[in-house]
Amino acid sequence: MIYVNDLSKEFKKAIKEPGLKGSVKALFKPNYEIIKAVDGISFHVPKGEMLGFIGPNGAGKSTVIKMLTGILTPTSGTCEINGHIPQENRQKYVKEIGVVFGQRTQLWWDLALRETYSVLKEIYDVPDKEFKERMAFLNEVLELDDFISSPVRTLSLGQRMRADIAASLLHNPKVLFLDEPTIGLDVVVKENIRNAIQKINAEEGTTVILTTHDLADIELLCNRIVMIDKGKKVFDGQINDLKREFGQMRDLKFELMNTCDISKLNYKEDLKLSDDDMKLESEKAIVSVRFDSDKVSVEDMLSYTLSKVHVKDINLKDADIEEIIRRLYKREVSIDEV
Amino acid sequence: MKFKKFIRTYRPFTRAGMLESVAYRANFFCFLIGEIMSCFIMFFVWKAVFQSSNGETFMGFTMEDMVVYLFITFLTGYLTYSDGTYAIATEIRDGSIAMRMIKPCSFDMCFLFQELGNKIINVLFIFAPLVIGVEAYRWVITGACQFNISYFLLYVVSLIMAYLISFYFNVSYGFMAFYLKNLWGADILKECIINFLSGATIPLAFMPTALANVLSFLPFSSLSYTPVMIYMGMYSGEEIAFKMLMQVFWLMVMVLLSKAVWNHAVKRLCSQGG
Amino acid sequence: MRRMLRLHRIFVAQYMKNLMEYKVDFLTGAISFLLGQVIQIAFLGIIFSQIPDLVGWEFNEILFIYGFSLIPKGMDHLLFDNLWSVGYFIVRKGDFDKYLTRPINSLFYVIAEKFCVDAFGELLIGLILIVYSTVQLKLTITWYMIPLFIVAVVFATLIYTSIKIATSAIAFWTKASGHITHMFYMTNDFSKYPTTIYNKFVRTFITYIVPFAFTAFYPASFFLTGENPLFCIGGTVLASVVLFTISVCIWNKGIKAYESAGS
Repeated sequence: MIYVNDLSKEFKKAIKEPGLKGSVKALFKPNYEIIKAVDGISFHVPKGEMLGFIGPNGAGKSTVIKMLTGILTPTSGTCEINGHIPQENRQKYVKEIGVVFGQRTQLWWDLALRETYSVLKEIYDVPDKEFKERMAFLNEVLELDDFISSPVRTLSLGQRMRADIAASLLHNPKVLFLDEPTIGLDVVVKENIRNAIQKINAEEGTTVILTTHDLADIELLCNRIVMIDKGKKVFDGQINDLKREFGQMRDLKFELMNTCDISKLNYKEDLKLSDDDMKLESEKAIVSVRFDSDKVSVEDMLSYTLSKVHVKDINLKDADIEEIIRRLYKREVSIDEV
Repeated sequence: MKFKKFIRTYRPFTRAGMLESVAYRANFFCFLIGEIMSCFIMFFVWKAVFQSSNGETFMGFTMEDMVVYLFITFLTGYLTYSDGTYAIATEIRDGSIAMRMIKPCSFDMCFLFQELGNKIINVLFIFAPLVIGVEAYRWVITGACQFNISYFLLYVVSLIMAYLISFYFNVSYGFMAFYLKNLWGADILKECIINFLSGATIPLAFMPTALANVLSFLPFSSLSYTPVMIYMGMYSGEEIAFKMLMQVFWLMVMVLLSKAVWNHAVKRLCSQGG
Repeated sequence: MRRMLRLHRIFVAQYMKNLMEYKVDFLTGAISFLLGQVIQIAFLGIIFSQIPDLVGWEFNEILFIYGFSLIPKGMDHLLFDNLWSVGYFIVRKGDFDKYLTRPINSLFYVIAEKFCVDAFGELLIGLILIVYSTVQLKLTITWYMIPLFIVAVVFATLIYTSIKIATSAIAFWTKASGHITHMFYMTNDFSKYPTTIYNKFVRTFITYIVPFAFTAFYPASFFLTGENPLFCIGGTVLASVVLFTISVCIWNKGIKAYESAGS
């Protein structure tokens, strides 16, 4: 359905030197820096899948989505959706996709919501009968009736998002791209939107690609996630795989009674652990140990620690998905910065 | 002491205004070229008019006078232009005007000083080139330097007053956004009327005497016609004194008007909410 | 083509509904445009009260040229005004995304989205001036003048539009180009007067480089004198076709370079 192969996008960014001299120089001979926003990403999405796209701010998620939707032209690499190359036969291609950018609306701002749909009907050439059925279906899933006659500018953020999603589904697209569909919404509305997306995916087999910062979106909606950071793919797989892969890592955190005691702790030698299995960080009396619970049991770890030193406070943290992702982000960032 | 504090409070605004206009200088130059183009069109039109007319003068203006009038009017219009209407209308529309009431500086001063920074850059880039260009032209055509330093200095004073009148007028006008949904049309109307009433499109001297007399007492002639006529040395000493007093008078009226409108707006905001 | 026309009609209808939300605003705008033109014409009147003719053109002929210049300008303003927004903010804010995710030509979509009714002010004044000066000059109207007039207006409009397309498309590379459009657009005022009043440089510039002279003076002078039809009308057609081709190429290249905005 969707094949992405070694996709890259570079942006040129003007570098300005400070001061008036720099400004004048930039006017006549601008300096550019090449920024690799997306760097050799490949993946494949089968029909009907819901794929979550995650990564920290500026990781390149939106750039990928914009290339897949035909808005941006890739610097190199290819993407193929439904047999179309987005940039090549753009007008034909976009008839088969729906796009929602959470931060901007595609609705006619000053007109009643209904008007937007009647214009989109024409743009996408939806026949009258189909249009009626579609509206009935979307209305049932997204509950548009309450506000379909109000001008768009008077809608609440949640209503607007529902209206936007409906607008992108009017022409029954095969693929739906959602860029941050729950941004800025309250818990109840988020829940609503998620249910709607799930229902559409289940009933129509629409392939959904969504980017989000809200991990609950991912856990509840997506069977699979692709994580990118600094333009590179860092993980691709089931959420459970992610948990399995990173989940056995635990964090043990404690505060020493006596700061000097830290020299008494020799995990690696005493418990025979390699550098990959554990990592110790300390700041004054606070010590945190990250260890692989497959290699050394939690019980052994605790009893060893408590036998060597006196602690004021101790706490053991299991890695939830948010923690895993935070760790992944951190790891990527620190690798790059060293 | 109070003055120092005043300067310290508002200096950052001026700086911001300067940086802003430096950042957009490419736009600024393109825009300027576009605007100056219309001066050149009129220059050619006037040249043709003088070629086609019999005498040396046209309704009391010589060709050099016309050129000076054209370019100095352009310069004056450019420097006295104020964005106040747009700024206020935007703040009213997005509701940020309410934030102004909880800040420890006055709205008009913040905005004035910011625009001032912008004006300083404009003066640096276009004031000197235009004045020098106009004077060089006059020198070449008449064979003698026509530049008069006292007229020039009086022009600068008159220009500053013209700018302040324009600023306060625009601020007052911007408050119309409370009553109109969109200020686009009203803004075009304002530009159009001001250009006519101030003598920028048609010199007042070309208009029927009765109309010209009425217009010269309205605030609009203070915006452009007065400083330009002073620059050109068209007024006697007595006339200059009188016209500048008129400017002072209209400036005071505009300041009071803007205060009144602001107070009204505050009341409205307090009673109805943003 | 049929579908485009139908879509255009629908867009116009939507736009009109939108406009009705801002009735007062629109009316003041239209009246202001009208007023501005009236003042300009009064100015011409004042000048001509003192001189018999302007480099060989009498008042009514100048009025005809002036009136003619308003028709293509008004047509462009009426139909293609949204191009300004492309250069000023649509590209910079990343709002161009919307046009690329729709199954219609992006240039057409941008253009069709807005219908600038206040242009009727210009068109009205232009027509009044043309009719008035034609009557005053007692011009003889032959049958082929009418189709030629329509051809001239259509292609003259296209000159305006092409210049706007090309300069707005610069924004795809530079993010904003409204000021560049403005700079070129302002040269159109040169075409309101006979090109003979300008020096050689200006004349060459507005004939061969930014051919605004073909939007008013050249075609208008043909209708006034009946001379040089090949240059005056043929030139208009040629200039506009060449410009339009170039500008569409620039636009299509620009879309490939479009970088959107933010994340």
